[in-house]
Amino acid sequence: MHSDQTAVLADVDTMLRDVLGDFGPDAEIAMDTTFRDDLGMESLDVVSLAGRLQARYGNSVNFALFVSTFDVASVGDLTVGQLVHYISDSLDKVPAAS
Amino acid sequence: MSIVRANGVDLHVEEIAPVGEPTGTAVLIHGMTSDSMASWFLTLAHPLAQAGLRVLLYDLRGHGHSERPATGYSLNHFVRDLDALLEEHWKVDGPIHLFGNSFGGTVAFSYAARHPERVAGIVAIESAPPTDAWFGRMARRLAHAAETIADAEAVLNSRPLIARRIKYTTTLLAETSIGVELPESALPDPATIQAIDRPVLCLYGGESAVQELASETERLLPQSRHVVVAGQGHTLLIKDPERVRAEVLPWLASSVHRLTPGG
Repeated sequence: MHSDQTAVLADVDTMLRDVLGDFGPDAEIAMDTTFRDDLGMESLDVVSLAGRLQARYGNSVNFALFVSTFDVASVGDLTVGQLVHYISDSLDKVPAAS
Repeated sequence: MSIVRANGVDLHVEEIAPVGEPTGTAVLIHGMTSDSMASWFLTLAHPLAQAGLRVLLYDLRGHGHSERPATGYSLNHFVRDLDALLEEHWKVDGPIHLFGNSFGGTVAFSYAARHPERVAGIVAIESAPPTDAWFGRMARRLAHAAETIADAEAVLNSRPLIARRIKYTTTLLAETSIGVELPESALPDPATIQAIDRPVLCLYGGESAVQELASETERLLPQSRHVVVAGQGHTLLIKDPERVRAEVLPWLASSVHRLTPGG
């Protein structure tokens, strides 16, 4: 795993634990952790996660676009790794500040 | 997460900015008990923003991340919550497109009956205006949901991961008066529903009994368009969002066009 993905995973870990609060997992959140079966995430948690991603990455990560490729039924099958890849790919496309 | 005070309760609100040339404002209203704004957020909210609408979402009182007061669940409470959000928080200027799923559609029709001049159009999914027939149905559904609480508790203890959704519903029914208050709501005069002279689109699941209410809705609102989606039940919005988008977006484009002066 690239070092930038490790950093993104750490960010996502923090955001997921904030969103889930008392319902957060005791176990480590890894790339193959699934939203529904491992984290027990509700669709409303995805809304909260969207807000935190927006606050953290601004418009450089279009989570709305990412989410729109899923729907209520399939969003639960999402893995943390898919989200991490999407974020790091999006960040790679942002022109570096000079 | 944004929580705002409206009509005396704390409500969870979200907003998605329009993409490109703004074409208006949409408010998306979810259904009763196990539903939340997420049903709209994950299905139609972003496509509507792409179509140029400022998209406003909220969790109804007692639902999602909004406050769950012990009492205050008549239809009037829900309509006044929406009114307060629009007037005091979102400060919407100009007519709004109301989208409602199930009971959310009923809130939309009720708001429009009270303020027809503030509404541009209504999209109702698996829903109906506030009529006696519809409220009779909801009363039976609420009673049935309350009866299944005991079963739900057993599931809750055996499957911790799916416990939260059930917990929302059981807590709402067990700790609030919604099951009693909502069915007893004072309903608007049918004449005020008939006075809603705006475009209305109603979608139904082909397997759902809610479509039996379509003829009454058509009688009250002759301009309304009704579409039945085969193979779907009451959960049409979340089970077949693709089909819902395919019906709603072209209809919306044509109704917005009709509403534009000289357009």
